[in-house]
Amino acid sequence: MVPTNTKNFDTLVVGGGIAGLQTALDLGDQGYSVAVVEKDASIGGKMIRLSKVFPTLDCASCITTPKMSAVAHHENITLFTYCTLNSLDHDNSGEDSGNKFPGINAPGVKATGLKALITQNPRYVDPIKCIGCRQCEYVCPVHVPDMEQGGLSATKVICIPFSNAIPQLPMMDIENCMLCGQCEKACPTNAIDYFQKPERFIITAKTAVITTGFDLLPVRDNVQYGNAKIPNVIDSLQMERLLAPHGPYNRVLRPSDGMEPDSIAYVQCAGSRDKSTGVSYCSRVCCMYAIKQAMLLSGSLPLADIIIYYMDIRAFGKGYEQFYQNAKAMGIEFIKAKVARIDEGENGQAQVRYELQDGSGIATADHDLVILSMGMIPAWNPGAICPVSKDSDKFITSIKPKISPVLTDMEGVFVAGAAAGPKDIVDTITESGCAAMEAAKFMSKRLVEN
Amino acid sequence: MKTINTDKDRDRDKEAKKAAMKELRGVRKNLIAAASATMKLQRKELAAIKAFLKAEAATIPQIAAAIDMPTDKTLWYMATLKKYGQIIEAQKEGAFFKYALNEADNPPKKAEA
Repeated sequence: MVPTNTKNFDTLVVGGGIAGLQTALDLGDQGYSVAVVEKDASIGGKMIRLSKVFPTLDCASCITTPKMSAVAHHENITLFTYCTLNSLDHDNSGEDSGNKFPGINAPGVKATGLKALITQNPRYVDPIKCIGCRQCEYVCPVHVPDMEQGGLSATKVICIPFSNAIPQLPMMDIENCMLCGQCEKACPTNAIDYFQKPERFIITAKTAVITTGFDLLPVRDNVQYGNAKIPNVIDSLQMERLLAPHGPYNRVLRPSDGMEPDSIAYVQCAGSRDKSTGVSYCSRVCCMYAIKQAMLLSGSLPLADIIIYYMDIRAFGKGYEQFYQNAKAMGIEFIKAKVARIDEGENGQAQVRYELQDGSGIATADHDLVILSMGMIPAWNPGAICPVSKDSDKFITSIKPKISPVLTDMEGVFVAGAAAGPKDIVDTITESGCAAMEAAKFMSKRLVEN
Repeated sequence: MKTINTDKDRDRDKEAKKAAMKELRGVRKNLIAAASATMKLQRKELAAIKAFLKAEAATIPQIAAAIDMPTDKTLWYMATLKKYGQIIEAQKEGAFFKYALNEADNPPKKAEA
């Protein structure tokens, strides 16, 4: 079915993480109309799920939430959350699109540069009526793993994803709903709608900025580190949740039994720089976030032994080397070794077997908690959705990586943040400003030409 | 022109909604059955935890041993009960924290964690 609902903007930002938010703000502040399309139910991306940021140890939420709020209340920015981008391409209205993206080149839709076909996924809640009171969540009787907390605790089938989510709208996990009607009865504004259906619409824009970010390589794919089956071996984003003040336990505990860990180990390059996992590149930020987490742990568990197994420490940014030296001074132990395998030990411990890089051989150590610094992989595959090129590492190709890393091989389409390759928040913010400027320049040029 | 909703209209809407829900339940029959089974098990397990905590505060391994539940699953439930204000963290015992029922707290009406 061809969607008839078309919305026109100057720029379409794909992804509502910190890169997308910064790009949208930089363009919105210049007077451009911006649409931010986000696949999750809330904007904020990975950054809103972090505890603190390196090397300043500022609260991640305290930086991200004002930006989220600024975007949500900006007169030139429109948010589309819990949406799927079905296609994004140059607008070929009037030409034969070869049916590459069926439905996108609807007759009567004015050509304005780019055209995106979007699906608004059903939340089963009317966003106009809902007041975000969470009464539906409180009465829902079914618990499901809370993936916002790394699956370490539960949430309800209908819930607001996390406390500072924007928008403050619940969504229903229909696969696990038993249609008991309790949420409907509890809702004071009759906002529950079990019959909601996906709705498709078109966004036309002069430019687009891809800010789709990254995911971590799943631990379950890593055979030598236990395929996520060894208790108390978690990934770094789960550790971020344990360290966050509003995390699953409100403190750092071992997920297998609630014990306060006494011996904690970080395994660096777990997946990165390893051709066998398909991630042959360095993920760039793992050294620094492991050091950051180790420092935070050292503060919350001062008596715990904290060890970082590393191949080499890459502290490339401003203040990063000092941050690393501070960690060493705090008593965090750095062992230059490659961890070969992790096995289940006794009493919930994980046994780490590693090869020392000084040639002194192989050793084993038992730890209460092991954190894997998994490699970063792209969160979005343009595939058949958008004809923008990917590099061999599967991130979006920057056609001028030295002089303008935000340019892609599609005219009017730019890329910023981890969508183009692993990078830290500082570089992501800088690149987002750059993408906004390139997009503004592109639109100004078009205006002059016409 | 003003539309006046008579009792008859309201009854008709109610009946139509009821029929639509019945149809929806039929379509989602298998999902509903699985969710219902999950809910029943969760309700039983949560009741067991709360019943045990009525007597005294306890650590995760103590609760798990008493109700014959794996410790990781017990912690998963406890984290959830804490999130919804039904339990509080009590004193520390060795490397473990004890948890107690939150008697003082008034969770939202009809709340069921």
